[in-house]
Amino acid sequence: MTREKHITQLKNTSPAGAGRETHVPPLDDLLTKHSRPIKPGERRISTVARLLEDLVKVPLFRCQRCGECILSHTGFICSQRCPKRLRNGPCGGTGEDGTCEVYPERKCIWYRIHRRARRLKRLPLLNRIENIHNWELEHTSAWLNVFNKRIDPPTLFLKKSKKGNAQ
Amino acid sequence: MSRMSLKQKIQNGKFLFTSELGPPRSASAAAVRKKTAYFKDIVDGVNITDNQTAIVRLSSTAAAVICREEGLEPIVQMTCRDRNRLALQSDLLGLGALGIPNVLCLTGDHQRFGNHPEAKNVFDLDSVQFIYTAHRLRSGSFLSGDTMKNKPNLCIGGAANPFADSLEMRVIRLGKKIAAGVDFIQTQPVYDLARFQSWMAAVRDAGLHTKTAILVGVMPVKSARAMTYMKSEVPGMRVPQELIRRMKKAADPKEEGIRVAVETIQRIKEVEGVRGIHLMPLLWESITPRIAEEADLLKY
Repeated sequence: MTREKHITQLKNTSPAGAGRETHVPPLDDLLTKHSRPIKPGERRISTVARLLEDLVKVPLFRCQRCGECILSHTGFICSQRCPKRLRNGPCGGTGEDGTCEVYPERKCIWYRIHRRARRLKRLPLLNRIENIHNWELEHTSAWLNVFNKRIDPPTLFLKKSKKGNAQ
Repeated sequence: MSRMSLKQKIQNGKFLFTSELGPPRSASAAAVRKKTAYFKDIVDGVNITDNQTAIVRLSSTAAAVICREEGLEPIVQMTCRDRNRLALQSDLLGLGALGIPNVLCLTGDHQRFGNHPEAKNVFDLDSVQFIYTAHRLRSGSFLSGDTMKNKPNLCIGGAANPFADSLEMRVIRLGKKIAAGVDFIQTQPVYDLARFQSWMAAVRDAGLHTKTAILVGVMPVKSARAMTYMKSEVPGMRVPQELIRRMKKAADPKEEGIRVAVETIQRIKEVEGVRGIHLMPLLWESITPRIAEEADLLKY
């Protein structure tokens, strides 16, 4: 069976397939789409690009350098600061007033993301199911990865389509 | 007791009753067998916890095999804390081969709470992505895109916490799990009924209760101290102060604990959109038959 045919079949068998809520990407989107090995040349350029990116992202967003940036979906707060590095929302351990279960002296990062997203009117973006992280991209430059079409570009402005899909 | 599988019962819209069994902290099959006696012919499925609170225990898959030998329908809990995507997929295939379809996909407690706090965690996938992975496997393809001939037959569960902040984010996350392919949801134990009802209302507003079977958690406690502990030490739990006061006043806290659990179950059963009860008798498995009888869960 070809992969495309298989993905169609997957979509059809999804229990939530028909008439499900909007904002959910098709199932095959969960995988890093352009998974191909990084050649040494690209890695070298990435190291330089990473230096520039760090100058911006580390002080501003406490970037954890995952290389697969979803800052624009998470209210411009880096979700990778979560001790479990969750990419799809909080675990069940958020305490009252939004404290982190692992480090009670901190706020749950997803609690903060939710509040910020609400304030910035970017809540629809939280409905996206985020990619399964491609660890090969760890500590590479997300900017270069966007340029090389390894990851999706950031969603800076919410477009209002008929379906209300904000992607 | 009918021999319908959990999946068939979900599809038939039966009101479900599941419970929980914690494997021992040793290699004792006898300890597992002993506990199964409390659940037999009472529950539709029994969760086998996977290194709960990050304390090393007998493997959940192995305990599930023992439970099935004793005539129970096991629901294997599996966490992302201890496994990367290779191990998760391989364990799911293993369940398929064993003919144990029910799996509860969890993120997992952080190792900091357990008896090996110095361990390296994994968290390669999160629970939403794990559910998606399981859904993909049962449709016949690996995360890599490779396909297989003998697909594992899986009935995929997920967890939800109606009590942790913020409520809106909880519903969003539930929506993601449903979109990723979950068949049933089990919630954290309910003490705060008011908060549970507002969560359920939000779930109904999003139309999510029609897309999955929501089983609501209930945990009987033996004393007021246990309840206070739960309120202060267990993250993401809400216990109303009145309930603690009620337990403190009671002459026989154990009996009062059972009464509270039974009353909670009866109130939950009336809430629209609830498809079952998930009893979590932590270290008190022997109480399951009594609560099932008093709360009228057997006739369903």
